[in-house]
This record gives sequence, structure tokens and C-alpha cells, in this order.
Amino acid sequence: MTPISLQINGETYLVNVPIKKTLLDVLREDLALTGTKKGCDSGECGACTVLMDGKPVNSCLILAVDAVGKQISTIEGIGGIMELDPIQEALVAHGAIQCGYCTPGIVMTAKALLDSNPHPTEKEVREGITGNLCRCTGYVKVVEAIMDVSRR
Amino acid sequence: MSDLNYWEPGNLLEAVSILANLGDQVRPLAGGTDLLVKMKKGPINWRGIVNIKGLTELKGINYEGLTITIGALTQISSLIENPLVRIHFPVLVEAARSLGTPQVRNLATIGGNLCNASPAADVALVLLMYEARLLIIGPSGSRKVPVQEFYVGPSQTVLQQGELLTAIEMDLPPLNSKGVFYKHGKRKSHEIALVNVAVLLTPQPGTKQIRARIAVGAVASTPLRIKDAEDSLTDSLATLSAFEQAAELAKQAVNPIDDVRSTASYRKQMVGVLTRRALVEAWGGEL
Repeated sequence: MTPISLQINGETYLVNVPIKKTLLDVLREDLALTGTKKGCDSGECGACTVLMDGKPVNSCLILAVDAVGKQISTIEGIGGIMELDPIQEALVAHGAIQCGYCTPGIVMTAKALLDSNPHPTEKEVREGITGNLCRCTGYVKVVEAIMDVSRR
Repeated sequence: MSDLNYWEPGNLLEAVSILANLGDQVRPLAGGTDLLVKMKKGPINWRGIVNIKGLTELKGINYEGLTITIGALTQISSLIENPLVRIHFPVLVEAARSLGTPQVRNLATIGGNLCNASPAADVALVLLMYEARLLIIGPSGSRKVPVQEFYVGPSQTVLQQGELLTAIEMDLPPLNSKGVFYKHGKRKSHEIALVNVAVLLTPQPGTKQIRARIAVGAVASTPLRIKDAEDSLTDSLATLSAFEQAAELAKQAVNPIDDVRSTASYRKQMVGVLTRRALVEAWGGEL
């Protein structure tokens, strides 16, 4: 086991991890930050998307030991306990959530997209979320929700 | 299963010495988008990871004269965002944009796309078209290898024990040349090419004559330059029949396989179709 220190949502977490354990598994199993979901565990589905130094990445493709020194943002750092982030509000308002499993990943991806490009075209939104699979909504409502936030 | 060993070398010399001493027992970790998937799928016959992400010697994009040097650790997303790469190597940007997903592109590196040696690699195919040279450092010094000579077979390169790819070097393509990249798959994103094609067409000044470079991927054990097809176009006139003949030669030159994603005969057929289409688009004018 290797002792490491991780910066997550602005807080420091100390944890002992095996080298081969991914950031995703450490978030969920060691730190109880279970908002980040585990889907395919191979970089395909985007359910595990977190932001690393502001950019969306698959936390299943990163070793926890390799995340040392990076600023990690997870869904737990978005919005507040009693208030939703505008992206979350829009997803709810547009009915862009059904089973909800992909939603934390989509929120993180949309956050990074809008942070770097506050007024994307629909095409840019569609391209931006190509790494987040959703098997319920058919994406139309997700795209509408993100476009809605960008117009605010 | 027991845990892995782990190193974070502070400089290139240290990294090379660890890799040279431990050879097949360890794997270098760059973007990790392939390595971690392999590690999880298992079984693996190696016991340690050498994390090279901290090596500043392998980072950065620099221009000198007519040559660009791209550090092997450059992320695919950084390639896409680099203004000079966008201006001078637009086809590389297009291939980079077709790789994986935004999340994968923020991790995956240009060096990894080469060293992973997938016959279907998109970025590597375009580097073959741009006639890139690869800078390699190892225990016995440094060397420079054309991309064309880098591949040995699927997942196999000329890299020897302890050697690391450090950078990719390319000359600016001829001034009036036009490149085209096609990736043929079932989806628009997160796809591995069934066939990919990259062509660069250079009209010879003041004439209707042309020179062409043609590279195809996913249809042989390595990405291929199709010399026969290129030669058939050298100093020929840009005509539809010349492009059709070159496309036919490209089709004859490839040796694809059947797999879960497609059949050999379909891939072969598509090499002809896409090569012709790419040449026509690269020419851009009347035929």
C-alpha cells in the first residue's frame, strides 16, 4: 500500500492505496464519494467522468497514485446541499434524466465544456458529450438542457 | 493478485535506466488509456509501471525553421488546440479529433498512439503521411527513425529494451499541398477505424501534374504507405481515371483480416472507394 494525498473538490484526502487501484475505485470505495459512477471501467462510457485540472477525464483510466498533485473535481463539488448548479437544474427541467446513472458524468463534462466555451453551438455540445453514453434519453433533451444553460 | 511496483523517474536518464534494467517486467505509463485497459483485462505478464508523465524532456511543441517537434507526451487534445499545428498540419488535427472521446483525448498522448502500434491508429496514420521522424533515446544513445520504419507488426515496434520515444519531428508539407483524412466506421465518435485513409496531393506549380502520398490503416499488420499507387500518380495529370487507377492499386496492395468489426473483403473494397474519394477531394478542382 502506498500513502498518497489527493486534492478533491478543494479538500485534501489522505489515503493508502494499492498501485493498481484507479482513481475511480479510490473515490468510491475509500473516500465514499459514490456520486462518480462506475459503468464500463474501460474508458468507453464516461459515467466515471471527473475533472482533472479543469479537464474532463475518465477516472477509470487514471491510477490514484498518478492523480497526486492534480486538482480533482467530482459531482459532490458541484452545486450545494440545498441548491443545484444551473446545469443540474436544466437537466431536471428538461427531463434529461431518466435512470440517472450517466448524469454525474454528463454534468461534469458539461461543466468543463461551458467553462471553456460559455456559448457553444449545438454541434459543439453534441461533440462535447460524445464521451458520455446515455441509454435512456436519446441525448436530445440533454443537448437542449446544456444549450439552455449556455443561453442564460 | 499481488500489487505492482511503481516508479516515477525524475528525468529521462533515470527512466531509461529503469526500463533498460527491468525490460519486459515493466511498462511505461504515458496517457494510460490503453495500458490501464490491458491491465484490467489481464492476465498481464509484467510486474511494474514506470510513470513517465513527469518527464519534461518529453513535453512541448516547438517550431524551428520549417520543422515542428512535438513531445511524445503531448496530449491528443493539446495537439488539437495548438494554433500552429492547426495551421500547418490540419490533417493531423482532424485525425486527432477522430480519436476516442474528449475524455480520452485529454489523457491519451501522441507517443502512445504510435508506440501502442495499433494497425488502425488514426494519428499514427497521418504521421506516416506527413513523413514524420521519431526521436528515440535508449541506453546506447539516441536515434531517429522514420515512422515508415517504426512498425514491425500489431503491437510491435523497433523500440529495443530501455528505449523511449521522446519526440516526433515533421517538416512542413509542400506549400500548395492539400491533405485529406477519412476514417470509416459505424459511429461518428469513439470508434476504431474499419479503414482509415490519409492522402496528400501536391500540384506541381504551373502544370496540371501532381505528386501524391497515400497511407491506409486497419488493412494490414501495420499502417501502410502505398508506393505503387503513389508512383502511378507521380507527374501524371490529375484526372479521374488516374485517381481510379491509383485507388485500384491501393486496393490490391492491402491485406486486411476478418474480425468482429468488419470483413476482409469489405475493408479491401473500401480502401479503393476511400482512396479515390480522398484523391478527388484533395485535388479539389475540376476533373
